[in-house]
Amino acid sequence: MDSGPSGLTFLVIGLFQGAVYGLLAVGLVLVYKGARIFNFAQGEFGTVAAFVTFALFQQGGLPYGVAVAGGLAAAVVLGLLVERLVIRPLFDAPRITVLVATVGVALLVVAVTVLVAKPEPRVLAPALPGDPITFAGVALIPQQFLILAVLAGLAAVLALFFSRTNLGLAILATSQDVLATRIVGISVPRISRLIWAMAALLGGVAGILQAPLTIFTPGFMTTTTLVPAFTAAVLGGMTSLPGAFVGGLLVGAAQNVGIFYLQRAGIPGASELTVFSMLLVVLLVRPQGLLGKVA
Amino acid sequence: MSGFRPGRGGVAARVAAASVLAAAVLSLPLLLESTQDLWLALAAIYAIIGLSVNIITGHAGQISLGHQAFVGIGAFTAAFVVRTVGGFQTDPVTGLVLAPEVVATSGFWIGIVVAGVTGTVMAVLLGLVALRIRGLYLALITLSFGLVAETTIFNWRAFTGGGAGAAAPRPAAFASNQAYAYVCLAILAVFLFVDWRLVRSRAGRAMVAFRAEERIASTIGVNVTAYKLLAFAVAGFLAGVAGALFGHWNQAVQALDFDLRTALVWVLMAVVGGLGSRAGVVIGSAFFAVFPLYLSAAAGGATLEIPGLGEVLIQTLSPLLGAFLLLLTITLYPGGIGQQLLPIRRWLAGGPLVTSRHEALRLAGLPGLVVLVGTLITADGAMAGRLGMGAVAGVAAGVMGALLLLEYLRQLGRKRPVAQKRGAGGPTVAVARAGTAAGGPAR
Repeated sequence: MDSGPSGLTFLVIGLFQGAVYGLLAVGLVLVYKGARIFNFAQGEFGTVAAFVTFALFQQGGLPYGVAVAGGLAAAVVLGLLVERLVIRPLFDAPRITVLVATVGVALLVVAVTVLVAKPEPRVLAPALPGDPITFAGVALIPQQFLILAVLAGLAAVLALFFSRTNLGLAILATSQDVLATRIVGISVPRISRLIWAMAALLGGVAGILQAPLTIFTPGFMTTTTLVPAFTAAVLGGMTSLPGAFVGGLLVGAAQNVGIFYLQRAGIPGASELTVFSMLLVVLLVRPQGLLGKVA
Repeated sequence: MSGFRPGRGGVAARVAAASVLAAAVLSLPLLLESTQDLWLALAAIYAIIGLSVNIITGHAGQISLGHQAFVGIGAFTAAFVVRTVGGFQTDPVTGLVLAPEVVATSGFWIGIVVAGVTGTVMAVLLGLVALRIRGLYLALITLSFGLVAETTIFNWRAFTGGGAGAAAPRPAAFASNQAYAYVCLAILAVFLFVDWRLVRSRAGRAMVAFRAEERIASTIGVNVTAYKLLAFAVAGFLAGVAGALFGHWNQAVQALDFDLRTALVWVLMAVVGGLGSRAGVVIGSAFFAVFPLYLSAAAGGATLEIPGLGEVLIQTLSPLLGAFLLLLTITLYPGGIGQQLLPIRRWLAGGPLVTSRHEALRLAGLPGLVVLVGTLITADGAMAGRLGMGAVAGVAAGVMGALLLLEYLRQLGRKRPVAQKRGAGGPTVAVARAGTAAGGPAR
């Protein structure tokens, strides 16, 4: 192996980067599974949670746990607001209209965070402090292992939630046939509220865990993480939670290996190009994804 | 509406209103100052982009969240053409343009056409993908494609000059902002005509059919593949030309101008304008082009004191307003500006102005708008004769208000058909809302 960073190094970096995508993808899959909506505002749940956590912890001086709880609560409140003000009025609208609406929500939240938070760079303290651990020639901070663990745990727990609990089944039922669901006595608005609260919570978790890895600015999740996360979700089958986990790791790995080879060849924008190629190939060749079932 | 025929006075009023409107648009570049001519040019450029988005989303029922790919490729192509074909000299050391007047007018026009063609090629490539991938997934693909264009294609050094960008000077004939505003308005007029003919043609009817239901359309013999590609091709051409105009507008082209947020603004201006409504899209686009410029010029770095937030730069309020308008349009007024304009369109085409009480109420915004514009003009100290214009605006608003009140009272005395008793919401809104993504309100 040569002295410079090798392909393997990039692969390891990519897998951990992919965990970040997977974490956001889990929330995207949840909303799609429960409401058949592509939620382009998912990243903003994370951004808002990260900003509130930062404000409470670094500026308010509260304990880290309390700050995180505050950040997650803010995300959930935002999720419920979005559900009530934007999603519910569009219950009968075409899904593409709802998609444009979630884009609008994302733009609105970005504009508000710019207004409130001023565009200055911020660094959030990691949840797991400690020295970097060297693994396969890559220095990884404990936070990155935490992200991987949380992602695996969430994917497993949510998969069980949908397959084993009545509430999970009720959510699936709502996404398949609203009228029939109402006839058997399930409250559709209640399910809708639940989905968006859960999605916002997951988005918040993703944001708070991702923020310490970068210097974060308003809209950072939407600009850097949203498209790879969607690609991860599509790769996993869009409705499969373990799929989001696997898809996330694959996208991260492919992206960084792509950067390794394309950048060496002098092609700019290597990571966007790799993500786009993956998305295109999956949708053309295997639209049901790797772990999804044919709808 | 059937059986309604305007009287002789009615026809005269309609012709007069239409000519006043046309004359106002045509004389605008002469009346405005140089900076504002530049705003007007950008409004026309945005209107072309809005029409382009409208062809893909409003007419063909597809979605494009990556329009910066087509517009950007047009801008870079035009810059490339004036550099190599049109030929102008740059300082070999600094890269600065030495003599802009060297750009030939013919080189400018060749650049515009070639930009349109490259936009077409790129859009057709994406259109081929759209034949296989539909709906939400297409939205995702277009978004991702736009990012690739922004980071990979626009940073390709030999073609675009890399991150520093490329110079795109105007030829001497269009060097003044006033002349350039006329160029942009003229091209917009051509494309408005093209769009109108497209909708009225066999292709337009085919698009109506497959945007409602693709499978049924192809069953009854509509060539969905061909017309979908045609929609992408025409939209790509418009976007490419708009890109070229934008490049020359700014006199420089760089990848940063074509980022994701810009592409999303272009989608939201078409939605707020009202997908499927030509006039609505033009007005919506012009608003989104001029408003941020107006805000930063008028505020000039001034700040606003918001309780709890402290000082806030006024310019930063414009993205907030854009996103807010989008959500308001989608959830409450799905037809956008186009739907609000419907009574005026119908009246200009020879129909009655108002057919229900609700329409009369909705039109009350119009005199309100006149009052607002009149106030702005009167308050603007730089403009000569402002008091006269303010008075004209006031009288016009008063007349309009009185006419609307009369119409409202007349509608009050009329029996409404049963189907309309459900009020302004009801079927119209549902249909229009169903059309927001799949198309616009039915023509």
